[in-house]
Amino acid sequence: MGLRCLRFGCALGLLLTVGPSGRPAVAGAQLAVERRLAAELQLRVGDTIRVGPAPDSLRSTLVVTAVYQPRPEPAAVMRRDRQIRMHLPDLAALLGHPDRVDRFGIALRPGVPAESAAAVLDRVAFGYRAHPSAEIASESSETFVVVSRFHRAIGVITVVAGAVFLLCIMLLKVEERRLDAAVMRFVGVRRRTIFAALLLEAAVVAVAGSTLGVAIAWIAGAATNAYYRRLFDTELVFSLVTPGIVGFSVVLSLALGLVAGALAAWRLVRTAPLALWSRA
Amino acid sequence: MALAWGVRSLRRHPLRTALSLAGIAVASAMLLDMVMLSGGIERSFERLLLGRGFQIRVSPKGTLPFDTEASIAGVTPLVRDLRADPAVAAAGPVLGASLYAARGDSLLPLFGYGIDPAAQGLYALTAGADLAPADTSGVILSRPAAAAFGVAPGDTLRILGGLDPQLAGAAAERRLVVRGLVRWIYDYRGQRSAGLVLPLMQRLSDAVRDDRASFVMLRATSDAAVPALVARLRARHPQIEVNSITELVAQFRQRLLYFRQLSYILGSVSLIVTVLLVATLLTITVNERLGEIATLRAIGVSRASVVRQVLAEGAALTLAGAALGVGLGLATARYLDAILTSFPGLPAAISFFVPEPAALATAGTVLLAAGSLAGLYPSWLAARAPVAATLRAEAT
Amino acid sequence: MSLLVARELAKDYPMNGQTVHALRGVSLVVAPGEYVAIVGPSGCGKSTLLHILGGIETPSSGEVTIAGTRLDTLSDRELTRLRLTRLGFVFQRFHLLPVLTAGENVELPMAEAGVPRAERRERVGELLAYVGLGSRRDHRATQLSGGEMQRVAIARALANRPALLLADEPTGELDAATGQEILQLFRRLNRDGATLVVVTHDERLAAEAGRVVHMLDGKVTAH
Repeated sequence: MGLRCLRFGCALGLLLTVGPSGRPAVAGAQLAVERRLAAELQLRVGDTIRVGPAPDSLRSTLVVTAVYQPRPEPAAVMRRDRQIRMHLPDLAALLGHPDRVDRFGIALRPGVPAESAAAVLDRVAFGYRAHPSAEIASESSETFVVVSRFHRAIGVITVVAGAVFLLCIMLLKVEERRLDAAVMRFVGVRRRTIFAALLLEAAVVAVAGSTLGVAIAWIAGAATNAYYRRLFDTELVFSLVTPGIVGFSVVLSLALGLVAGALAAWRLVRTAPLALWSRA
Repeated sequence: MALAWGVRSLRRHPLRTALSLAGIAVASAMLLDMVMLSGGIERSFERLLLGRGFQIRVSPKGTLPFDTEASIAGVTPLVRDLRADPAVAAAGPVLGASLYAARGDSLLPLFGYGIDPAAQGLYALTAGADLAPADTSGVILSRPAAAAFGVAPGDTLRILGGLDPQLAGAAAERRLVVRGLVRWIYDYRGQRSAGLVLPLMQRLSDAVRDDRASFVMLRATSDAAVPALVARLRARHPQIEVNSITELVAQFRQRLLYFRQLSYILGSVSLIVTVLLVATLLTITVNERLGEIATLRAIGVSRASVVRQVLAEGAALTLAGAALGVGLGLATARYLDAILTSFPGLPAAISFFVPEPAALATAGTVLLAAGSLAGLYPSWLAARAPVAATLRAEAT
Repeated sequence: MSLLVARELAKDYPMNGQTVHALRGVSLVVAPGEYVAIVGPSGCGKSTLLHILGGIETPSSGEVTIAGTRLDTLSDRELTRLRLTRLGFVFQRFHLLPVLTAGENVELPMAEAGVPRAERRERVGELLAYVGLGSRRDHRATQLSGGEMQRVAIARALANRPALLLADEPTGELDAATGQEILQLFRRLNRDGATLVVVTHDERLAAEAGRVVHMLDGKVTAH
């Protein structure tokens, strides 16, 4: 999402505007267009389009031989890039650099480690560098690592806010029952019993609340995916509610509910019954 | 007096009030952060783009500056034509490309800016001297670049461009004198960048044949002249993209839609939490004080006065909580900004959380209004409390 | 001319599917300067009668007139204003606002009535001195004894110079000695021209009254 990434974005389609005018035209070559571009330009298989490296040099005519759906690319989802695919010699000729590419992929023989192969290539390289695919994947997903960290931070803040809110509400609710608690103590009910009853109530509320929360999260996640998929016209998944996430959330909310309930209940049962009565 | 009763009642249960204030403070902090986030990066981006006073960008058709590797051919006559417009105060072409510089036996990559030093809006000099307009033997470096190569103003650096792996050589090479160190406005943290005069950069990046540049920065004679100038240039040069900073920011905003939407959602949640907390606290305390309320009504205090005091209580709680939330919000904003500004390739000058006084004042007003309105239900309870029945219940 | 005229008051409450007749055809006339005590066993309707006389509760039937104004012709806002300016209430449980000081409790009705601050402050001093609590002005209500709280409540009831003072079991929460102090205060109030209607179990308080009204099962049995 940074400008640096934008600066070096290299969707093939945009390379159409690169290159000087006056290059030889390429005629009759084939190209495949991505689905969104085909929809926007109302292209079908068999149509002929003019392509060029600059707006004033659209001299090459190509035939659409396929419409394809590109693999969803998270880094490109916010951009409005459109892709086409051509045979490499045709594109190179169009751009006026018949023997130049930006990059190429290397498939290694089985058993050859990618890191060592890359290191060997780098030792003899001049003007290029070799990267294991895993390294590329890691670097290109750095943006999403940052987004994940941000989400996690928001999550922590939300949990803290929720915990404070929960403690406050529990305290208020338990204090409302001080008259009942006083009467129970007068008639001989033990502190332990009152504490356990309040804790059980807190647990029930926590379980019910977290169940409701999971349902809301699932609905919100589905709505988020539906909205952003429609907005960006993509098949990417934006929100994922996994069993692990559900489990963690339920355990955390249960723990917070019990702690809040225990604190509030402890505060009530440690107060003398007469004090509870007179405050009521 | 009735208002004093309402506000002072908050002191009767210090722990309860303290917890409520803590909850409101956290919610307020979140709201503050989301207000700062909602337009923060756009404002930051706009300030960055306008920082040197160049209000217009000219780029290859269908692209944004430095968005792709596309470039504009024939930039020299284009710039001459742009400068001829009476509303153009300055026009600075820029060519961005990869370069390499020698460090011992190895070559390290650099990002190169080809510029016209007399009309540039990309850097601020921090040490040494600037490039002269026709200085083809000088180079200016970012501090990370200078540190990587161990050079200072006055030293020489070997710069190469157009590396050919088959020939194992460079298409162009120069030994350049480091004139000065600069802070490149659009660089990310730690970026190694070099600045050369445009003709030299074109030679090093094989762009000289077509006289190419990545984009052109224009400074209009006044901000008011910008819209008309943009329209004029678009009509005169349909083969290029002309955008004012306002338009660039709008396009940028679309790319960062997610953050704006997130800020609206979380900001709304914060408001809801504040309303719920204040409403719950006030409802419980009103129920506890029904006897006092009935007494007030019995001795002649009007319903309106009772309602006012409950609303005042809600407002006081919200105000106090929000005041605590300001410091917390600024601290969490700094923390969250540190996370987001670590996006790879993001200019170091960009911030996501930008405190704008007007926006913060609006947020504070909305929060206060929400907290006050949260007292509507409990004040309704207080207003309709049955006086006689309550007094009877109190007496038994 | 009578200050208070109550005619054929009845009050019914629904309770557990049945109707409770709290008042059945009660009539009462109070002249200015009178001291009337209403006595009767618990549940006979004394407090209900007092609430209706003070406009806090509306009767199921009958009418109340205070200083020539029929209460059933007044809106809720007008009734509230009447209670503020023409009536004073003293409750069994004092009902002071615990977060306010003694002085602020007394000042509250005057502030509500729009009396200027300087005048309020001066009158608070007078009233607290009248009830013997001039030195306790700045003490919180919770810092006062039961008798002191009731005296502050009486001062509050007198704040806007009411035509009629209504008291519901004013000595109900007090010990004998403290009750005696309240008794003496009421005697002094009446001597100084206040019109009092007091609901009470306390025989001493009833004995101080110029007229005693007996109630039983929602009816007046003797004047």
